[in-house]
Amino acid sequence: MRLARAAVLPALGVALLALACYPLVGTGYGVRAALQVFMWIALAGSWNLISGLTGYVSFGHVAFFGAGAYTGAILIASRGWSWPAAALAGGAAAIVLALLIGYPCLRLKGPYFAIAMLGLNEVLRALVSYFEGLTGGGNGLSLPTLDATRPIYYVMGALAAAVTALTYAIITSRFGLRLMTIREDEVAAEAMGIDTFRHKLAAFLLSAVGPGIAGALTARDQGYIEPLSVFPLAVTVTMIVMVLFGGKGTVWGPVLGAVALFVIQEIVWARYPYVHPLLFGAIIVAVVLLMPRGVLGLLQLRYRLPRTI
Amino acid sequence: MVGQVIVSGVLSGALYALVALGLALIFGVMRVINIAHGPLLMLGAYVTFFLYSRLGLNPYLTVPVAMAALFVVGVLLQRTLVFRVVDAPELSSLLLTFGISIALVNLAQNLFTSDLRAVEYLTESWSVGPLSVSKARVIAFVFALGLTGGAFLFLKTTRLGKAIRATSQSREVALVCGIDVGRIHMLTFGLASALAAAGGALLAVIVAIQPEMGGVWTFKSFLVIVLGGAGNYPGALLGGLLLGLVEQLSSLFLTTQLSEVVAYVLLVLVLLVRPSGLLGGRQT
Repeated sequence: MRLARAAVLPALGVALLALACYPLVGTGYGVRAALQVFMWIALAGSWNLISGLTGYVSFGHVAFFGAGAYTGAILIASRGWSWPAAALAGGAAAIVLALLIGYPCLRLKGPYFAIAMLGLNEVLRALVSYFEGLTGGGNGLSLPTLDATRPIYYVMGALAAAVTALTYAIITSRFGLRLMTIREDEVAAEAMGIDTFRHKLAAFLLSAVGPGIAGALTARDQGYIEPLSVFPLAVTVTMIVMVLFGGKGTVWGPVLGAVALFVIQEIVWARYPYVHPLLFGAIIVAVVLLMPRGVLGLLQLRYRLPRTI
Repeated sequence: MVGQVIVSGVLSGALYALVALGLALIFGVMRVINIAHGPLLMLGAYVTFFLYSRLGLNPYLTVPVAMAALFVVGVLLQRTLVFRVVDAPELSSLLLTFGISIALVNLAQNLFTSDLRAVEYLTESWSVGPLSVSKARVIAFVFALGLTGGAFLFLKTTRLGKAIRATSQSREVALVCGIDVGRIHMLTFGLASALAAAGGALLAVIVAIQPEMGGVWTFKSFLVIVLGGAGNYPGALLGGLLLGLVEQLSSLFLTTQLSEVVAYVLLVLVLLVRPSGLLGGRQT
């Protein structure tokens, strides 16, 4: 075990170095695919922070992604901001939104929180379509052309690493323990003196930043966004299924799930374009019914793995 | 103008109530949030469309056919998949029914194509004084009210209806009283799907039919059951009428696009102030 633990850091270092060098040798498709995987790791990891740790199911997490995407795109297109600044602004916008929404909604319990989050997504889409002057409405918003895939690759990669590192830091901290206490039994947590509302709100804010930044970066990389492309419920569900597949409430679960599901989706997408959603639906059903604990959850159950995996 | 708006609000409100009642039943009895409710409605609309366009049936005669067909679909879904997530945390039921939902939409896209379809029947309107109302909407209103009332009556008076309400109040006690809870779940899902199908069949005459028409109905049904109180079945009627009026009034004073926003703000407010709905409690 000690040997395994000693090997973790060097292995991580080698993996990061390899990923850092990859754009120098990789093909255009490869870099783009890796960029997407980074995005999914950041999204899935962020969802895991609120829902994996506190048990509050954010069923509209893509709202933060979309809010970041629109904030970033508007700042780049009409204010001429540089994309790194716009990405930070996207993260900030997501935090503000999370504060506005979390303040009332985190007092809701169980299914009602999930429904309120689901509704938030629909509402943002309606709002974006309404403020046509600013957002281009249903026609979408085009950004000036700029080939920044490689720099965005590094920033997105750093974001994915940051979200994962943050998850590790939280899970190993007292703050994380309190969040997990809320998940196991909120009343008991309250009785032990935990200010549950503030803890949930803090986790919610942290879980919104990553999607906000990722949204702005994705908007820049794709050069065009429209309401349907940045607010689909399917994106929320994809990040959730990635976390479930890998293991809810773990550090590496979202990473594992994002990579595995992305690869599966790419293969399925390429082979069966017409029935892709049908197969995706089948994957969701299979993950929910057959492996609710996820790969790492099962491994933790079978072998006495550390909680910090 | 306001009169016109109130009339349209009430007319669409009954349809909301009809569709939402199905969702409320499933949630009340099984604690399952059924994201696939809208797509089931879409399938109902297609049943009407094909019977009308291929066999030339009167669209209103197809309502029972659509209901029967979707009853079977609902029972099969419950039998094969949904029964596994009854009582599971809400995440499981949300994801499972979302999976079913995209599968159904994709199936419809492949089988029926994404073309917009329409049932062109009763396109004229009646004018009463300054008001003008489309005939199809009035008939849909009457049907919706009748079906919702029939469902209430069924739940209130028949043995099966009582068993359904008993199961939603307490599964354990229902079990002790000799109610076959698994069978009740199955029938409830079938009945709920049939109600969604009835809504779809009535809508087929009013709006364009396409595979993705259902999504917004899932959302609206949530609004309705939250407004009326989840698990409170008469509340669905109140919630439906309220949503219809709010939508129409906000489209009069603001714009149509913002009516969803207004409805959502209302949803969050109601959840915070009266989490058990405007009528309160589970008065089943």
